[in-house]
Amino acid sequence: MRWLPSLAAAAVAVLAPAFADAQTKIDFFFPVPVDGKLAKEMTRLVKTYNDSQKDVAVTAVYTGSYDETKLKAQAAANAGKPPAVVLMSANFVLDLKLSGDLVSLEPMLKADGTTRMQFLADFWPALHANATVDGELYGVPYQNSTPLLYYNKDQFKEAGLDPEKPPQTWAELVADAKKLTKGNGDTIERYGFSMPEGYDYLGWLMEALTMSNGGKYFNEEYGGEVYYDTPTMLGAAQFVEDLVFKHKVMPQGVVEAGGVSTNFLAGKASMVLLSTGSLSFIRDNMKAAYGVAFVPRNVRNAVPIGGGSLVMFKGLNDEQKKAGWKFIKWLSSAETLAGWSRFTGYFAPRKSSYDLPEMKDFIAKHPDAKVALEQLPYAKPWFATYQTVAVRKALEDEIQAVLNGKKKAPQAIKDAQRNADALMKPYVDQTALKLP
Amino acid sequence: MTSIATEAPSLAEIRPARRALRVRLGRRALPYLLLAPSILLLAGFTYLPIFRVIWDSLHEQIHGSRENHFVGLANYVGLFSDTAFGQAVGNNLVYAAATVPFSMGLALLFALALQRSTRFNAVLRALLLFPSMVPLVAAASLFFFIFLPGVGLFDYYLAKIGLHGANWLGDPDIALWSLIGITVWKNAGYYMLFYLAGLQTMPGEVLEAATIDGANGWQRLRYIIIPLLAPTTAFVLVIALINALIQVDHVIVLTKGGPSNATKLVLYYIFEQATQNFAAGKAAAASVLSVAFLLALSVISLKTMERGAHAAS
Repeated sequence: MRWLPSLAAAAVAVLAPAFADAQTKIDFFFPVPVDGKLAKEMTRLVKTYNDSQKDVAVTAVYTGSYDETKLKAQAAANAGKPPAVVLMSANFVLDLKLSGDLVSLEPMLKADGTTRMQFLADFWPALHANATVDGELYGVPYQNSTPLLYYNKDQFKEAGLDPEKPPQTWAELVADAKKLTKGNGDTIERYGFSMPEGYDYLGWLMEALTMSNGGKYFNEEYGGEVYYDTPTMLGAAQFVEDLVFKHKVMPQGVVEAGGVSTNFLAGKASMVLLSTGSLSFIRDNMKAAYGVAFVPRNVRNAVPIGGGSLVMFKGLNDEQKKAGWKFIKWLSSAETLAGWSRFTGYFAPRKSSYDLPEMKDFIAKHPDAKVALEQLPYAKPWFATYQTVAVRKALEDEIQAVLNGKKKAPQAIKDAQRNADALMKPYVDQTALKLP
Repeated sequence: MTSIATEAPSLAEIRPARRALRVRLGRRALPYLLLAPSILLLAGFTYLPIFRVIWDSLHEQIHGSRENHFVGLANYVGLFSDTAFGQAVGNNLVYAAATVPFSMGLALLFALALQRSTRFNAVLRALLLFPSMVPLVAAASLFFFIFLPGVGLFDYYLAKIGLHGANWLGDPDIALWSLIGITVWKNAGYYMLFYLAGLQTMPGEVLEAATIDGANGWQRLRYIIIPLLAPTTAFVLVIALINALIQVDHVIVLTKGGPSNATKLVLYYIFEQATQNFAAGKAAAASVLSVAFLLALSVISLKTMERGAHAAS
């Protein structure tokens, strides 16, 4: 039977190019930050794509949370098998580009005969900054969210407030929250207001509050600057401190997102700030009547976006790059994005998705989704710097100390700025301070 | 080697001296041959990574550039000047100083209470052992709901007896103690097993003699049982100390090191440096220190255990 291996080898040699010509196989890594049914839907989408054409065979790989997806994609790339397409947290794009993990999408745009401006024109303006690094396209927005104010209409009525008039300004928020807070003496049975204060969520919401206070929070054009020690941030941090200690309408100490949504569902918190990504969850589980509204403003309406973008990793051959780009274009078409948005509760990053008839029906049926959509024109880019996570935590640790009464707001933001600057120093020294 | 010897055409043809040499070589080689699979695995998955992490700890890749250059001990210096690392070590010391004696003390109490094998005791033992069979990740996920401020199970029962709970995981003064509570709950039953085993092998006649001599319960415990359990205690102590350094699941699930770094343990610090802060060199340096600590701990404990075993016999 000595001839058997050589025969097999010959067969492979003859057939392999035929297969290779027929199909390019690529991996697609995707996280599911919310819940399990999304993984099934994503697998179904990829199957639809594979069945619809013969050139590209995509293997969908579920890779856990956003953080795990980043780790796994980097590990795969280091092992010489980079995933062609990854759905990556949009604010990791900058850091991954700086560490040299990502492929610029500019050559693909050029091959298609288009430009970045033309390509991005259909995407909401707030999404452009997180997709672009140093003037080149690195990510294609796929699923996005903003913070939103959720409120319990039944409790509004009970407290003598108009359930159709949620607070629009910080002053109204405090006034309403005081009326909604219930308790005797030290024990508070119901808080008028609550928001997630664990890592990641807190930074996002502080960005929302600072921007609603007229602030910029960070330099969207350059990764080495954050505006923590500023009047707008001081106002936001002081506001948070006052909600807990002066107005006593928000729980003291850190409450994680799971605790906030549980309290809202259980009627223990009347108004909460949560992501638009929680819309489906609240819709399915809330027994009392609820409404949603813009994040209240002090100076102007503004919210940061959050969510994920499609990126491509370095180390792919030309075939794989082409195949990956083809798949990205299909995934980010107006139709696919509209379907994914209806299924998940994320908003669709393309404006044209909302012109589709099925999307118009959906918005008409779900007034809460309409509010989220109407807030989009006020959306701003998501926090991303050199060392995004560490620089974000530099602020979060300080605000958590404020929430626990360990520090006063003015001192907290000074310390946050100092720590953040120290973290970004290596980058600043290499770039803005590297002088001739 | 031996198979070659048996396959040889005629043993008589081989001169006796050569044959003896071959047998001797065969005898020498055989143990290594048999050990080879484990040595290969041990080398590949334990020794090699240790050398690799030492090498990594002497190099630094600056985030934003692809260069990887030798920096000597700079990572270690950076580690000691990092207040977050100091805080992590401090937290870990508190965590170890609380979890180890509490869980061991409870384990000994449980074992003493349940050492007689009755059917009732068997049920109780199973109940006490149950927490250690739940994976730490799962246990932590359960405790997320138990510890929810206001609406959690813990606060619910506290309210029944007229107390009102705290923000168990959201207050930096309390959060670490909540994690300590979970760890004690989880590990005490496991350590109880070792103490039960220790008590089973205890020579009955010594205790009998003591009883006849008029020793009361406390004296029997203080002067006979506890000293005779010394080898078990040494063993459990080592396991408990190692656990205090290598268990991190509940930190990841419940607090992610927060609030304000209050629950950041050394292993979580390493994880954070490596995966979030692009500081592989610093993470490697902290790993080297942890591994060195664990190695030292093992060596010391093996020595004391030997001595303990001699003392006991």
